[in-house]
Amino acid sequence: MLQSIKPKRSTILLYLLIPVVAFVFTVFYPLCRAVIYSFFEWKGGPNMTFNGLANYRQLFADGVFWQAFGHNIYLVIVCIIGQMGIAFILVMFANSKLTHSKGVHRTFGFFPSTISAVCIGMIWNIIYLQDGLLNTVLSKLGILTGNWLSWPNWLGTGNVMLAVSIPLVWQFIGYYMVIMFSAIAGIDNEIFESAEIDGANGFQKALYITLPLIKNTILVCLTLCIAGNMKAFDNIYVMTAGGPGTSSMVMAMYGYNTSFRDSNLGYGSTISVAIFVLSLAVIGGSQWLVKRATKGVEA
Amino acid sequence: MNKAVVNPTHTERKKRVKVSTRIGGIAMDVVLWIFSLSCIFPLVWMAYNSLKLKRVFNADKLAIPGLFGAEMPTLENYTRILTNPDYHLFESMWNSVRTTAISILCIVLFSFIVGYILSRIKGKWNRPLYLLFLSGMLIPIHSLLVPIYVVFKEMNMTNQWFTLLLPYVSFGLPMGIFLVEGYVKGIPVSLEEAAAIDGSSFSRTLWSIILPMCKPILVTVAIIQVFSCWNEFSFALVLIENVHLQTVPLALTQFKGQFGSDYPKQMAAMLITMLPIVILYFIFSKQIIKGMVAGAVKG
Repeated sequence: MLQSIKPKRSTILLYLLIPVVAFVFTVFYPLCRAVIYSFFEWKGGPNMTFNGLANYRQLFADGVFWQAFGHNIYLVIVCIIGQMGIAFILVMFANSKLTHSKGVHRTFGFFPSTISAVCIGMIWNIIYLQDGLLNTVLSKLGILTGNWLSWPNWLGTGNVMLAVSIPLVWQFIGYYMVIMFSAIAGIDNEIFESAEIDGANGFQKALYITLPLIKNTILVCLTLCIAGNMKAFDNIYVMTAGGPGTSSMVMAMYGYNTSFRDSNLGYGSTISVAIFVLSLAVIGGSQWLVKRATKGVEA
Repeated sequence: MNKAVVNPTHTERKKRVKVSTRIGGIAMDVVLWIFSLSCIFPLVWMAYNSLKLKRVFNADKLAIPGLFGAEMPTLENYTRILTNPDYHLFESMWNSVRTTAISILCIVLFSFIVGYILSRIKGKWNRPLYLLFLSGMLIPIHSLLVPIYVVFKEMNMTNQWFTLLLPYVSFGLPMGIFLVEGYVKGIPVSLEEAAAIDGSSFSRTLWSIILPMCKPILVTVAIIQVFSCWNEFSFALVLIENVHLQTVPLALTQFKGQFGSDYPKQMAAMLITMLPIVILYFIFSKQIIKGMVAGAVKG
């Protein structure tokens, strides 16, 4: 680079000052504060007492927190299979020469991911009501009979995790679809043509040509999917608030309840730190695992 | 001789394949349409059910008002929501519009500046700064809710009209910076060198030569952030207690309590707040989808 376009140090400093200060102030400074508070007993008032590792000891023994962590992992797994699996199949269908109106499916399919999780949660609440849309349709189809009071409560204890993950899966299938569409559009068409001449059918093309060639995109989707579900909160807050009891509790919801409903800010900070560490560990661990697994395949 | 024997069976097999592929094609089309329509259905279902009174909705959740002997549609839910000052729906929409617009302006501006400097000006500080913003993408927002609440409370920054700007800008910056940084790499340096030789200062080159060239990527950044700011819920929930400063998602959760089991009214409120996004989406769906994909894959 030419020396002539190198600006003065002060100019650069001036340009960077506001964004960097704002960013550090809202992201890193609070993070440090959370780490500090996590060693204190603090109920939000003026009294803060240092209690060493007691909060962390409590965390390790806290069944509800680990149940919530388990639910996050459950959501991650269901969404990886549901969102990415269904998206891949639908993309293969839409890209086939035998089907039509790919553009419409893309526009319609992507639509739910532009709507706020709060709205999605409220809509599905109405769908899941005991006399809601789902049960009404099921009874019209003759699957459910009798009075609506005897119909299943989808947000009840037994099936609540499945019930809250269905809206999540449904909302983002279209999102992963359009990412895969754009990755496949980048593949040279000649590859498919020569495979066709060799007699490959649609299924073989999908599995042996498309999938390996969009491997990197799949990895991106995987990371997005894991990161997105480790921070699941909005839907849960609106649909069940973690209930009934704690049967749909996720980490962020538990952290929110502890810190703001019970105003236990000390222990809430410990949970915040744990969310941070566990999210990074799960994202990093899954990437390491995928890299190791795919390395073995290539070698 | 042989050919005459082979040919009929060959064409026969071809015909059989054709029939089965055509059935396969129809089946795939059906699956795709079921998915696409399921993505739009809640919108349509809400739209016509919001025209029913609670009593009518509870009696039949599928019937279309005014058709097949069902009760005539009514706008009563809408007039009640819009005329009752307790619901302050337009106030929260205005709050959302203002917060979103200012946030996006700041995100685009700062992303452009920081992204350009990171991409072009090299120095010892370049790499650490890059990593600083990169790590911002890895920090789950829910681990920051407690400390941000505490820090903002200390500085008397909760419950202000500008409260949400700081977190929205800070969490929007990293992706914007990386998109701009990658984009600027593709612009030839010779352009800036020529400008410098002609006597253009760093700032002048930045604003009058680079900025217009970066327009496409800045539009992408803006599109992504419109949706994430408009739909953001967690920070608003924690930092805003004053009902007159609520953003749309927060107001909706409050309606959920206020309206109780009056679901058609909930639907009407959701539809009013969704309207701007829905209109925006169906007019610019191509650009929006393209922008969101670029953000997801590169960011």
